[in-house]
Amino acid sequence: MPCVGKDEVRRHREMTWMRVDRYFTGEGDDTQAVHQPMMCQHCANAPCETVCPVLATVHSTDGLNQQIYNRCVGTRYCANNCPYKTRRFNWFDYPRADELQNLALNPDVTVRSRGVMEKCSMCVQRIQEAKAEAARTGVPLVDGDIRTACQQSCPADAITFGDLHDTESAAAGLARGPRAYSILTELNVDPGVTYLADVRNRPQHASGERHGQ
Amino acid sequence: MSIVNAFTQFTTGSVRVVTRGSVGYFAWVAALLALIVTGLVAYMGQFNEGLIVTGMRDPVSWGFYIGNFTFLVGVAAAAVILVIPAYIYKWKPIKEIALFGELLAISAIAMCMLFVLCDMGRPDRLLHIMPLVGNMNLPRSMLAWDVVVLNGYFYLNLFVVTYMLVSYYRGREPNKYIFTPLVLLSIPAAVGIHTVTAFVYNGLAGRPYWNASILAPRFLVSAFCSGPAVMIVLLQVLRRVTDLEIKREAIWKIAELMAYAMFINLFFLVAEVFKEVYSDTHHLKHLEYLYLGLGDKTALVPWAWTSLIFSVVAFVLFLVPKTRQNVVTLNIGCAMIFIGVFIEKGIGLVVPGYTPSVLGEIYEYSPSTTEILVSAGIFGVGALLFTLTSRVAIAVLRGDFRLRTANQG
Repeated sequence: MPCVGKDEVRRHREMTWMRVDRYFTGEGDDTQAVHQPMMCQHCANAPCETVCPVLATVHSTDGLNQQIYNRCVGTRYCANNCPYKTRRFNWFDYPRADELQNLALNPDVTVRSRGVMEKCSMCVQRIQEAKAEAARTGVPLVDGDIRTACQQSCPADAITFGDLHDTESAAAGLARGPRAYSILTELNVDPGVTYLADVRNRPQHASGERHGQ
Repeated sequence: MSIVNAFTQFTTGSVRVVTRGSVGYFAWVAALLALIVTGLVAYMGQFNEGLIVTGMRDPVSWGFYIGNFTFLVGVAAAAVILVIPAYIYKWKPIKEIALFGELLAISAIAMCMLFVLCDMGRPDRLLHIMPLVGNMNLPRSMLAWDVVVLNGYFYLNLFVVTYMLVSYYRGREPNKYIFTPLVLLSIPAAVGIHTVTAFVYNGLAGRPYWNASILAPRFLVSAFCSGPAVMIVLLQVLRRVTDLEIKREAIWKIAELMAYAMFINLFFLVAEVFKEVYSDTHHLKHLEYLYLGLGDKTALVPWAWTSLIFSVVAFVLFLVPKTRQNVVTLNIGCAMIFIGVFIEKGIGLVVPGYTPSVLGEIYEYSPSTTEILVSAGIFGVGALLFTLTSRVAIAVLRGDFRLRTANQG
């Protein structure tokens, strides 16, 4: 039974929408690791959108880069042009004979199918649900109403999601801040994801002395 | 007799022409059919299982299929571009050269389309990518443009060839006001298909190996080597089986032009290598992977050097008048150029672009059995298509296959 576990990842077939890149500095006992979660950057000038021959990946009015699973013909051209390598291709089918397994699938998201590209959707189902709910009740959406799945599950609260056009939103405030930076800005893709530089308070490094010395 | 009637008779007559022949002919057709059936069976496996049966992975998401596609676009383009020297040097059988060039182009484009189809994750959604039928991402996507120009080129050549053959079949000369503009149009169209195919790779900012402005010019000159190589062999065959007046000088001239094209191709390669090696940035890794290998990852190295050595030797063979006029060395040169460019524009172009990947991973791609069988099957389709159409064309040109009018009995 095929599944995307360690084996398939080792064979260079990955399905993770968010991977955690690790960068190391220093050597030996002094090695420092920095973790950088990497998912679809929802670029404003998305290189994947320009190349798709059938318009299967387009920009939404919310500024999301959306993948249309039932339109994708599987040329993999978008993945070729993604500088962040965050697009995932379904190389094979998942068995769906077992009814019980199917019941375990999330009913809010499209079931993945063979031969198409997929990627981080920025939890578009949550955004759409919240917007529909706001329209129904007449209560306007406020910052923090929508939480993405990664944000919800991160124990360190390291992920903030919000409307960058709303200057009052927490996400926009952080993106304006001094620690904010984006990745591969030289490619002019204008990513919608901003990272915050790691700030470490390590006076022993400044004085040239090591811990315990 | 109306044109529709003549066309119907031409079609039924063509079936008669291709179903009669010597034992050798049937053996060749049977071999090709066997190849096609094997490929079809392999493709059915891929259709059922998905692209998991190929050697392609996330880091190397295009492989043998797209490499063959790229190579064959060159063959298709150059076969027709050969009409230019035929005009300039006033070779006698210019219409025949144009005709067979276009037959080769049709077969090559048919193979190209099959290769793209086999590379698609969802071939059942083919209609999305069909011009006029599907909603394509024009003018932004180069792949959409490629589909448009390849289709246009295919139908243009198909029309010209059918028009010419049916005219001869009816015992008439083709109307030069129809024939000449269309053949002339097919020349920029040939340049166009190969340029657009180069731009498919060229525009990807995250792929430095392809993001070089020399890519499209190199595509064109290398095509000018591989396409005529096929044509030279073909013209020799035609000279033997028909009474067409194909001068030896014309063939030597093509070989000489190929030597120039190969020189420019090698010069462009030197320019590319110099730029990468002298500046010595991280982008050099791709070229290093192709020619030297990275550590113990050396899958492409023998192929890369085979291609380079074959290209250089063929260049010398075609440059020296004595060897390009000798029938043995001429054909050896053709085979070497064909193989050299096949590697260079196939695996040698696609795979190093991905290796190492943007994350620095190295996945050593090699085509799976399925990919090789399917590809061989597609080459079989192209060869069969070309065999059958040339057989009809030869019969028409020799005058064996003519419309029988009432007064002739």
